Amino acid sequence: SKRTMAFTKASKDQKYDRQLRLWGDHGQEELENAHVCLINSTASGTEILKNLVLPGIGAFTIVDGHKVSGEDVGNNFFLSNNSIGRNRAQAATELLQELNTDVSGNFVEEVCVFNYEHTCLRLGSVLWNANIPFLVCRTYGLVGYMRLVVKEHTVIESHPDNALEDLRLDQPFAELKNHIQSYDLEGMGKKDHSHTPWIIIVAKYLEKWFSEHNFQFPKNYKEKEAFKQLIRQGILKSEKGTPEDEENFEEAIKNVNTALNPTKISSGVDDIFNGEQCNDITSQTPTFWVMTRAVREFVHNDGGGNLPVRGSIPDMIADSEKFITLQNIYREKAMQDASVVSKHVESLLQSVGKVCETLFCKNAAFLRVVRCRSLAEEYSVETVNKDAITSCMDSADGEMVLYLMLRSVDRFYQQHSRYPGVYNYQVEEDISKLKLCVNSLLQEYSLNVNVKDDYIHEFCRYGASEPHTVASFLGGSAAQEAIKIITRQFVPFNNTFIYNAMSQTTATFQL
Amino acid sequence: MVTLQLVGSLRKELADSLSTCRLLVVGAGGIGCELLKNVVLTGFKNIEVIDLDIIDVSNLNRQFLFQKKHVGKSKAQVAKESVLQFCPTANITAYHDSIMNPDYNVEFFRNFMLVMNALDNRAARNHVNRMCLAADIPLIESGTAGYLGQVTVIKKGLTECYECQPKPTQKTFPGCTIRNTPSEPIHCIVWAKYLFNQLFGEEDADQEVSPDTADPELSWNPADTETRATASDQDGDIKRVSTKAWARSTGYDPVKLFNKLFKDDIQYLLTMDKLWKKRKAPLPLDWPEHQKLTCPQGVTGMGLKDQRVFGVAGYCQLFSRSVETLHSMLADKGDGAEEWIWMGNCDDPPAMDFVTAAANLRMYIFSMNMKSRFDIKSMAGNIIPAIATTNAVIAGLIVLEALKILSGDVEQCRTIFLNKQPNPRKKLLVPCALDPPSANCYVCASKPEVTVKLNVHKTLVLALQDKILKEKFGMVAPDVQIEDGKGTILISSEEGETEANNCKFLSDFAIRNGSRLQVDDFLQDYTLLVNVIHCENLEKDVEFEVVGDAPDKAPAPTRSQEEGKNVANGNKESSEPSTSSEAPAEQNDILLVDSDEEVPSSSTMAVSMESGGHKRKLHDAETGEASAKRQHLSQPSADDDNDIIALD
Repeated sequence: SKRTMAFTKASKDQKYDRQLRLWGDHGQEELENAHVCLINSTASGTEILKNLVLPGIGAFTIVDGHKVSGEDVGNNFFLSNNSIGRNRAQAATELLQELNTDVSGNFVEEVCVFNYEHTCLRLGSVLWNANIPFLVCRTYGLVGYMRLVVKEHTVIESHPDNALEDLRLDQPFAELKNHIQSYDLEGMGKKDHSHTPWIIIVAKYLEKWFSEHNFQFPKNYKEKEAFKQLIRQGILKSEKGTPEDEENFEEAIKNVNTALNPTKISSGVDDIFNGEQCNDITSQTPTFWVMTRAVREFVHNDGGGNLPVRGSIPDMIADSEKFITLQNIYREKAMQDASVVSKHVESLLQSVGKVCETLFCKNAAFLRVVRCRSLAEEYSVETVNKDAITSCMDSADGEMVLYLMLRSVDRFYQQHSRYPGVYNYQVEEDISKLKLCVNSLLQEYSLNVNVKDDYIHEFCRYGASEPHTVASFLGGSAAQEAIKIITRQFVPFNNTFIYNAMSQTTATFQL
Repeated sequence: MVTLQLVGSLRKELADSLSTCRLLVVGAGGIGCELLKNVVLTGFKNIEVIDLDIIDVSNLNRQFLFQKKHVGKSKAQVAKESVLQFCPTANITAYHDSIMNPDYNVEFFRNFMLVMNALDNRAARNHVNRMCLAADIPLIESGTAGYLGQVTVIKKGLTECYECQPKPTQKTFPGCTIRNTPSEPIHCIVWAKYLFNQLFGEEDADQEVSPDTADPELSWNPADTETRATASDQDGDIKRVSTKAWARSTGYDPVKLFNKLFKDDIQYLLTMDKLWKKRKAPLPLDWPEHQKLTCPQGVTGMGLKDQRVFGVAGYCQLFSRSVETLHSMLADKGDGAEEWIWMGNCDDPPAMDFVTAAANLRMYIFSMNMKSRFDIKSMAGNIIPAIATTNAVIAGLIVLEALKILSGDVEQCRTIFLNKQPNPRKKLLVPCALDPPSANCYVCASKPEVTVKLNVHKTLVLALQDKILKEKFGMVAPDVQIEDGKGTILISSEEGETEANNCKFLSDFAIRNGSRLQVDDFLQDYTLLVNVIHCENLEKDVEFEVVGDAPDKAPAPTRSQEEGKNVANGNKESSEPSTSSEAPAEQNDILLVDSDEEVPSSSTMAVSMESGGHKRKLHDAETGEASAKRQHLSQPSADDDNDIIALD
């Protein structure tokens, strides 16, 4: 019934309150509609899933053919002593499922990974072609590794830090112009004067500035200071001639620098507009690109070269009536622009995309497209990103060396069907074997870099162990990336992430 | 290369020290749950955990040791039971209690080799900091807020303590701003919280909500005051015995309450015309009789849709309905009702409805833009977003720092900041070297001393005790002796000894400019010398000022983390970890990080890397080192280190 649904909604709101404050109802909805697959329920694997099950992912499926071992129980919280000998996927699914009854947990008993490099490349190519995001996660001793493999990931809500407001004071639209005109700062009473929103104040003094400066915007520091001075002169004076305490004017002066930012389309968004996905719209085109194209049409045909108005203004000193009127002018213009965009969408396609136009338009300035290189490109001798590797190896103890070591231990595995140092009595001989692998890797890719012996020893000592606390770190970081991808909010890293647990340092590389 | 030493050799010693180490985890919330899991799986065996909180529904999205059936139960206790279910061999003691309880004295802290803080408030952090300094036990401090997090290590004499850097004081608002001249939504929200307590909870003289005739801006002329006093006497409503008594006498009639709070009191405020010369005057509200009492859209039996803002009529309705609900709940509670206090418990729907409605009506009256219930909840409860992922990352970092401490490598420890996303230098984590103790710290310096400016004629002994010594300087039970040559005891922490002094002014005890007070907190084993500077011209509403302190108006800790900035953590507070620890004697400079449940056998691995000899003994294969590894002779083809996750 409707009431039960409302009740479920209310109880979910309560349970998820603290995270709704980060990604909102719509982000939560995406999460609840998502189904993730985990291959191998190792400590890192179950830690990742735990962090997705708790916030309420729709469903998960674990694929794993291993039987639970004593070591598993030792480093994996979601496997217990009485599950030893059982299928690992099933045992982990049962305990993970307990964390959240809203989540559907499934498992498939199937051995998936015999050879790390080989399996990743194969799986990577299948998922690449299906455009399903693939996140490779690995805890190897004191090293954490993540690689995101996704052909194209589009982000509407990238949540940029310090985004500037979209006020259009340099090119006020007609409604805003009229509204600004309706204010008469000289003629109004003292109370109204000190309750006029700062946006209006800046706009008014801009008009004055324009008339005195040949319609040129204040551009450099000196001109902006002069403009601030112009506003300051506008503060009412008491009978004694001292300036009154007008906080709204102070606010206007404080905001001059950002308010005078010229309205323009960022190069990032411009690149997105000029991409081929935007040019060739077919019935198969994903919503994001249809919307982007529609916004582009708007820019060219209706917006006079500008994006749709975002429609929000910051809080400011003003009385309610003046503030709300001003707010509505921006808001209505934004809705108007969004409906124009919506018409473009309709004419582009019969079926309208499911993304809300207002949300899209509001975020049009911050659209982001993440394109990762494929694993095949990373691994191929022809397309390897040699420059990135070589330049990062300038610092011999940076995180890049850990990447090369991970590649080397995989090479070791291919040759010896085991990882170096897994048996303590072999550590010594494994060191020289691993060194051969490092050298052959460097040689194969013609990498003229030096890997310190210390790292070779260290990786042998790791013995491919998976310390729980490193897995916990990786589980948190990887789940966070997964949530970014699922909610299509915030920008995921592109494309390789390395964590050095001893120095507590991290790095990202584009490989 | 540190890593080499840490991982390579002497694993056994570290593993032994883990299994014998007694560890105290303070807090079993977001970070605490992750931490308990990590420490048992890293090989810690003797763990004590303390938390005074009970489990709330809003914890379940991250505090994975708790389930719906545990709501209302002790966090510490349930956390212990859940961990034991998974790891039956761990030896865990749980305390459902406040760490500030005097039972947990310095002797108690000395039982531990290491303390980990997983707290959500500054008062407790300050306290644990002092206890660890007094007991000379290393402390790992941590905190998270949304995507941001921070970890640091505090070791006496070696690093900064938690209180070395003055922190911006928590923002408080002058009484007259709350009662007479609110100018920001938060003022109305604080007012509404006070009102809630006045009506339904414990009355507190510091949480008065009626118009304040003593507003320093007014400077009444006495004749005026006289008239007004008479007027308010006649108007029995304004001069009331207590808000609650009055409300009770009306039977909590929502309309009468409404008219008193949003009409009569506002009209009374309007008579203080000095206040409105420069400000926009408030607008008294009438109860919307003419409106039909139907619920506006969205105000349904299920409560308000959280993120929408409704019109005044909607909030009138919500006010009325929440008063009725709360009144009947109060009646049900009977005599126990006094214990019902606004504890920032924003997850109590009727209380939150009431605060939303009352705050919004007041915002409307004072010409502010009304806020959604969702936003008000954030502001009323200082709610900080919290997710599992950040806590998992931070708890992982904490244990790695712990391993460095236990292997005697405190110098290698770092303060680590977790960014929202990789910064422009592509770093998600920013580790910084630990700073040495601040010579002027009023907590960890060898002879802590501080200078306080106050007006000796206007400062009560009680205010010295509560606001300065307890609230500002974080003491629990201070004793104060005046250095006047006679050793006059001003405040004694023993009950019944000095209460008579409470309502006297400092000047009554000959305290004047230049006086020195010796303040002791027996529990914290902490002595502070307070130099008094008499000052007549403190800023409006400022009772005292600590010389050299961060200005009171310091901005809240910024959430946009640049490197090295502090991050708010948990609830309510900014965390700024740091402190002191002592390296356990048996440690050497090598750290073991492989962790597994199996205890290594007794065979030793005596070879350290830096001695140059790579002579690992073959029989190491039988030690725990081998078992800690993922692969075993028995399953040579297993290749289970790689987890791959594909996202659909």
